[in-house]
Amino acid sequence: MKLSIEKAVTWKNDAVAGELRQQFAQNSIFCLNVIAAPGAGKTTLIEKTIEGLSNEFDIMVIEGDPHTRLDSDRVTALGANAKQINTLGGCHLDANMIKDALCGRNLDRLDLLIIENIGNLLCPAAWDLGEDTRLLVASLPEGSDKSIKYPETFILSQVMVINKIDLEPFLPVKTETIRRNALLVNPNLSIFEVSCLKGTGLDAWLDWVRTQCLRRRKT
Amino acid sequence: MAGLGPNPVPAQTENVMHEMPFTQALIELAVEKAQGHRIHKIHIQMGWMSSIVPASVQVFFDVLSKHTLAEQAGLAFEITPIKLGCHACSRRIELPFEPGVDPRRALAKVLERGCFCGEGKLILLDGMRFELSEIELAQ
Repeated sequence: MKLSIEKAVTWKNDAVAGELRQQFAQNSIFCLNVIAAPGAGKTTLIEKTIEGLSNEFDIMVIEGDPHTRLDSDRVTALGANAKQINTLGGCHLDANMIKDALCGRNLDRLDLLIIENIGNLLCPAAWDLGEDTRLLVASLPEGSDKSIKYPETFILSQVMVINKIDLEPFLPVKTETIRRNALLVNPNLSIFEVSCLKGTGLDAWLDWVRTQCLRRRKT
Repeated sequence: MAGLGPNPVPAQTENVMHEMPFTQALIELAVEKAQGHRIHKIHIQMGWMSSIVPASVQVFFDVLSKHTLAEQAGLAFEITPIKLGCHACSRRIELPFEPGVDPRRALAKVLERGCFCGEGKLILLDGMRFELSEIELAQ
């Protein structure tokens, strides 16, 4: 006997992600799922975001790493609420891990939830975490061909931050080429060019995050 | 270093490769739908851009399906086309699976060329799915 099913195998994850999304909407929380290759500057961008916005908003960070709590220590040092998830080698976060990490937390006053995914451009793409926006962080030292080699994450992200633009004079790669190749794969990407180290371009990035948080607060 | 201390929140599952959680979810779904019957064959539809390796799914399946109704079931993979749509003229473009061809290359070629109308940029509509399409129950 044949049974037609036609269901995505990630349906259980998608269901939990849907619950989380509803919970975030009810509590007027803006949730960012940050995906990048290791070393692109995810944690530094998160640190700069906390420094720039912690006076205005209540921020929590969920740090996903295969091992160690190095990243949550960095974020906690800035006074932000942080929770570390260690996947013990696992290549991505899933919605249940986020649900567990939020268990027992009071979400009433939270404005901004930043989830730093595992450093990996491939595996996190298929796993919805209930986020409002998927943010891809690219950086100049990675080269300009990543959107062609790893199109999944570029296609499924809404926003891209190109980090380390201060290194352009020293590298055979142009910010413009990274931008162009990313838009080739996903013409709808909103792109910010920054140097987290020098502070270049961060105001525009912070303005965008601020707008997203305020928009939810109003409704 | 302070951060090298004990793991504060161990994740529930140890997903070493992304095929493992996919395969686990596949088995759970198939067994649930089989409602107590033994499963003879599982039909899977995967997009050409799904980044899932069938051989790797098979390896995990052999281990994870043990002592379940899916044990010994055959896996049939159907690779579905990449589908693109044009913003400007709403044309649809399909890239059917070609053995030995890298789908990223094929996709990049089409994206660089753009739509035939010369106006629009192409958006990926399909090609990353990993779906359980059908199960066959044993007699």
